[in-house]
Amino acid sequence: MSEIRALIVDDSSVMRKIVERALRQAGIDLKEVHEAGSGVEGIEVLRACSVDLILSDINMPSMDGLEFLRQIRAQNLAEGVPVVMITTESSEEHVKQAIQSGAQGYIRKPFTPDQVKERVLPLVKSA
Amino acid sequence: MLFNGVRNAAIASRQSAINESECRKGEGERNMAVSLRESVAQVADPRNLDAGVDEVFELMMGVKCRRETAEIPDSHAESVTAVVGFGGLLSGACVFKLSSETALTVAAKLTGIEFSEVDDTVKDAIGEICNMLAGSWKGKVPELSANCGLSVPAVITGRDYNLHVQAPEFRLHHVYSFGDHTFAVTIVCDGLQ
Repeated sequence: MSEIRALIVDDSSVMRKIVERALRQAGIDLKEVHEAGSGVEGIEVLRACSVDLILSDINMPSMDGLEFLRQIRAQNLAEGVPVVMITTESSEEHVKQAIQSGAQGYIRKPFTPDQVKERVLPLVKSA
Repeated sequence: MLFNGVRNAAIASRQSAINESECRKGEGERNMAVSLRESVAQVADPRNLDAGVDEVFELMMGVKCRRETAEIPDSHAESVTAVVGFGGLLSGACVFKLSSETALTVAAKLTGIEFSEVDDTVKDAIGEICNMLAGSWKGKVPELSANCGLSVPAVITGRDYNLHVQAPEFRLHHVYSFGDHTFAVTIVCDGLQ
């Protein structure tokens, strides 16, 4: 597996750091980590940089994670880049919405590093 | 005011999810009414709160919490309170209250960083824990999980303040401890459909 450039979108800077730590614990070799505090910031990052993996919260102010996902798919900003939603929302309906909006994976908070490994590693290996 | 603010944000969040979901559903599904009134005993089951607290503290911090019977001792020391609003079929809030000293310990366990004061990172960490507690609690009841949105967390710091809700439908208030630290988690429901 080659080095990965990741974008982590979460309105909590603490959660962004925890997600980054979990990715490293999962054995993912992170070359670059870009952070965004909202969907709007995430789009700005994607306009300026290329990434190999996106992890996004859903419940965020200004632009939530599902709208962010739809926007990047509509604007072809991250074609072929796997997106994993990391969120406290755990209902079937939320998972369905995320998958329909173009997410490849879904991790419910609270999570363990093993769960991150299990859901994210196959996506970065096949990307 | 703050309580209304977080609740309104949760209602807006839930409404946005409903709108998206409705656009995708057929006419038959659209008219199905969901109510939590029938399952109020399940929603207010105190074991759900204990299970949510265990899940969040063990998975995110490797901390095992004990449920305490005594209330947190009254203190005039500074405390930190995070509030996450619920909106949708259930309206109310999840309130996570702890002393500043305990907040520093919780934030350190969550982030792996030591803190000497309740700065923005500590407040962010406490808000996130409250968010996970709220999500974990509502996730224990499928109808609630699917039909109740969460607001982004609001965090209050200070001394000698109380959070008051008039005539709640139900209120769960539990005190937990780990090591020498205690904290309280309260679920206040002021509207149930």
